[in-house]
Amino acid sequence: MSNIVIGLLSFPVILLLIFLRVPIGLAMLGVGIFGSWIITGTFNPALAQFKSLTYSTFASYSLSVVPLFILMGQFATLSGLSAALFNAAASWVGHRKGGVAMAAVGASAGFGAICGSSLATAATMGHVALPELRKHGYSGALSTGAVAAGGTLGILIPPSVILVIFAVLTEQNIAKLFMAAFVPGILAAIGYLIVVAIYVRVSPESAGIRARVPYGQRFRELATIWPVVAIFVLVIGGIYTGIFTPTEAAAVGAAGTGLVALASRRLSRKGLEAAILGTASSTAMIFLIVLGAASLNGFLALSQLPQFAAGWVTEQGFNPWVVMAIVLLLYLVLGCVMDSLSMILLTVPIIFPMMSALDFGLTPDEFAIWFGILVLIVVEVGLITPPVGMNLFIINSMARETRLSETFRGVLPFVASDVVRTIILVAFPPITLGLVWLLY
Amino acid sequence: QEVTLRVHQMLPPQATIPADAITPWAEAVQEQSDGRISVELYPSMQLGGSPDALFGQAQDGVVDVIWTVLGYTPGRFPKSEVFELPFLMSNSAEETSAAFYNYVMENSADEFESVQVIALHTHGPGLFHTKNPVNSLEDIQGVKIRGGSRIISNMLAQLGAEPVGMPVPQTTEALSRGVIDGTTVPWEVTPSLRIAELVTNHTGFSGENGLYTQTFGFVMNRGTYESLPDDLKAVIDANSGLETSKMFGRAMDQGDAAGRQIAEDAGNTIITLDEEETARWREAAQATIDQWIADMDAIGIDGEALYAAAQEAMAAERQ
Amino acid sequence: MFQDKSPLGRGIYGLAKLMALAGGVVLIALVLLVVVSVTGRALLWAGLRPVRGDYELVEAGIGFAVFAFLPWAHLERGHAIVTIVTDRFGPIVNRWILVVTDIMMLVAASFIAWRLYDGMLDKFRYNETTLLLRMPLGWSYSAALAGAVVFVIVALYVLGRSISNAMGGRSEIQSSGGEL
Ligand code: NA
Ligand code: NA
Repeated sequence: MSNIVIGLLSFPVILLLIFLRVPIGLAMLGVGIFGSWIITGTFNPALAQFKSLTYSTFASYSLSVVPLFILMGQFATLSGLSAALFNAAASWVGHRKGGVAMAAVGASAGFGAICGSSLATAATMGHVALPELRKHGYSGALSTGAVAAGGTLGILIPPSVILVIFAVLTEQNIAKLFMAAFVPGILAAIGYLIVVAIYVRVSPESAGIRARVPYGQRFRELATIWPVVAIFVLVIGGIYTGIFTPTEAAAVGAAGTGLVALASRRLSRKGLEAAILGTASSTAMIFLIVLGAASLNGFLALSQLPQFAAGWVTEQGFNPWVVMAIVLLLYLVLGCVMDSLSMILLTVPIIFPMMSALDFGLTPDEFAIWFGILVLIVVEVGLITPPVGMNLFIINSMARETRLSETFRGVLPFVASDVVRTIILVAFPPITLGLVWLLY
Repeated sequence: QEVTLRVHQMLPPQATIPADAITPWAEAVQEQSDGRISVELYPSMQLGGSPDALFGQAQDGVVDVIWTVLGYTPGRFPKSEVFELPFLMSNSAEETSAAFYNYVMENSADEFESVQVIALHTHGPGLFHTKNPVNSLEDIQGVKIRGGSRIISNMLAQLGAEPVGMPVPQTTEALSRGVIDGTTVPWEVTPSLRIAELVTNHTGFSGENGLYTQTFGFVMNRGTYESLPDDLKAVIDANSGLETSKMFGRAMDQGDAAGRQIAEDAGNTIITLDEEETARWREAAQATIDQWIADMDAIGIDGEALYAAAQEAMAAERQ
Repeated sequence: MFQDKSPLGRGIYGLAKLMALAGGVVLIALVLLVVVSVTGRALLWAGLRPVRGDYELVEAGIGFAVFAFLPWAHLERGHAIVTIVTDRFGPIVNRWILVVTDIMMLVAASFIAWRLYDGMLDKFRYNETTLLLRMPLGWSYSAALAGAVVFVIVALYVLGRSISNAMGGRSEIQSSGGEL
């Protein structure tokens, strides 16, 4: 059996293990180690490799932003910034048709501008927005759908943990990727707002009306979100004026949200403990998958499968755009059952070199950025596609009276807007790359 | 084919050493063994681990052959480190590589006894690449400069600059945004880091010495080497040692020329400090050399003697 | 014995929590370190300085924190899993699947700790240090080893817990786990 076949066979084996509920990182780790053993015929390389591989994977400077962004999200939640954002948005648009759901989307976008995590955004916003939505007569389907979709803005709008991982995997510049994600992220928020507007017109009974708020109070509410604006300006401004690097920015942002939490007097000993333990769980989950990917990628390189796949695709002379469509569809399908991080770590090492070999009329750097944003979007769709969508589960568990099937139904229009946006971004790369060209 | 050699290193395949030294080496070995040795190249740390794990990977047999910067594992090659000292190297990487190889064989071979050495070499002279021109020692006072190694960072601090110990991949972004004001690297590295686009001034020194260099090892797992039949061992031997080390150094010199050309074409200012100014820098850098000798003495190594031996090895190459 | 409310269970929880909190304290310390260093670098003109070796301190600190977080995540079932297929299997099969995957996690935890220990010996043997501060890497490895060893202990307990649940016909209470 050739090594390439062994490499190929590893995928069904991993999927089988994952579907048998083996933790995803563990499945990748195990297949990586045993695969290398089969190819080299000895266990010694793996034994020697792991003397330093685990430590160097965890003690990685570029990945240090991951726990810092997660900690930042925990602090932001503790400090009540999410409630301030939602109340401000609701005071301005809440009285319109579908306005409370729009406020939830808008507040998620604002929160996403300082938080790099999708589930943190969904959970925080769900906490604040769901009771309000229920109070004003919004249907369970629309409420949970809008909040679950809004949560993905946490990762679509930079900063974004998934983009950091993509940047590390493909050796791209994190600042440029963040820049490129900005316009598509805003487009996502606008798309969700449009979905809400259409939704409440097609099905008027699914939304009620919130009382109009006088302008004086609107401005007072707006004034309470200044810490979010300040942190955003501090982080983005600091990066683009060269006071600190994007990696250092995560620490600066965490310090900023930590200070706000401290000033809000909500940061009790217990609260801090919960924030740390929450950070611990999410961080360990991510790094176990990253370790699994490190082991698996070493094995795949040994099998020569990525090199072979890249060569094969170029030789066939496929139409690049058709290949792109197939790859994005594959991500959409995988996203129905897998989480975004595992998908990226599992597939990018094979798919990225393969796609880079195709000609889309872009320079290698431009292609990497554009492709990274497209992948980011399609894997994030996975968070809100049934049957396995983490945002759906989180939000649904918060809205006890709403059945999961209703949530599934409510989120589908938002998924449709994601698909439309993906097609637009594929067709017009300058939407993604424009800001990068402008600023570099 | 009888034997497959897996070669692992941290740079992309088109970088100077992978393209102009390792690939020709692999071709020579495959050809001279009549295809009985097949060489598989794994660039960019494809087989996993961080660059500082490379030497261990060759030693423990994770892979068969590795190429690495010896300074990635500070503390592991204390005696070989002497070649990183300021103003020791000549302006030619080929010469300095030959001197380095001979020096190691005579003075610090024990640091490499766990592996089979194929080549030991250095890069060309390191220069300052800065936003504002460096025309004198005063011009780097308080300037934020990334230093590539421990010794170079020490030297920057002793010269009055503010050394920033940033990893290489961060350098381009940090320079472009002004997080740092400059960096010290040889010309060869400047194209891949796009230095000539980011800064407009490059400062080198006159006289027969360069500012500093870093040292590299291209080494094979001992077990892999021992297990080869005699005739294949002979093929590896024929592609190892002084001449191979010089070949790696030559590739660095050619890379330097190409990198310098890009800066010239960009219309950048290339400054060569005159002999008087260079002498001031050498004097200021003496503190770094004294410090290194004291550090060696502290761990029971005769630093003075090693420094003298390194200078001798350099002098021998110049004749 | 292998129940979260038993003395053993409470001891294990205390240990894992202590480890995770230690990691969290280090993480917060790194936040402060980076802020101080960035401020010092930005205010060079005012006579401040960046922290020497900040990059290598961040690496060592993150390394320790991640190892310290592993036991808590496993104890709390924080690792990413896919249940879409196994949800159809019924509670008994699922309890035994949990036993099998917990055995795998124990094997992985032991493997990681064992190899890390050997790696630590190597780092000490070859006197490897960090670049600027010349901090022995063996120390960083030793700190990480504390987390790795607690991970093994926790993995043993978690396996005991799932075996005892499978034998006793109890299902584990699901927790929300890690989130991205
Ligand atoms: Na975000
Ligand atoms: Na999904």
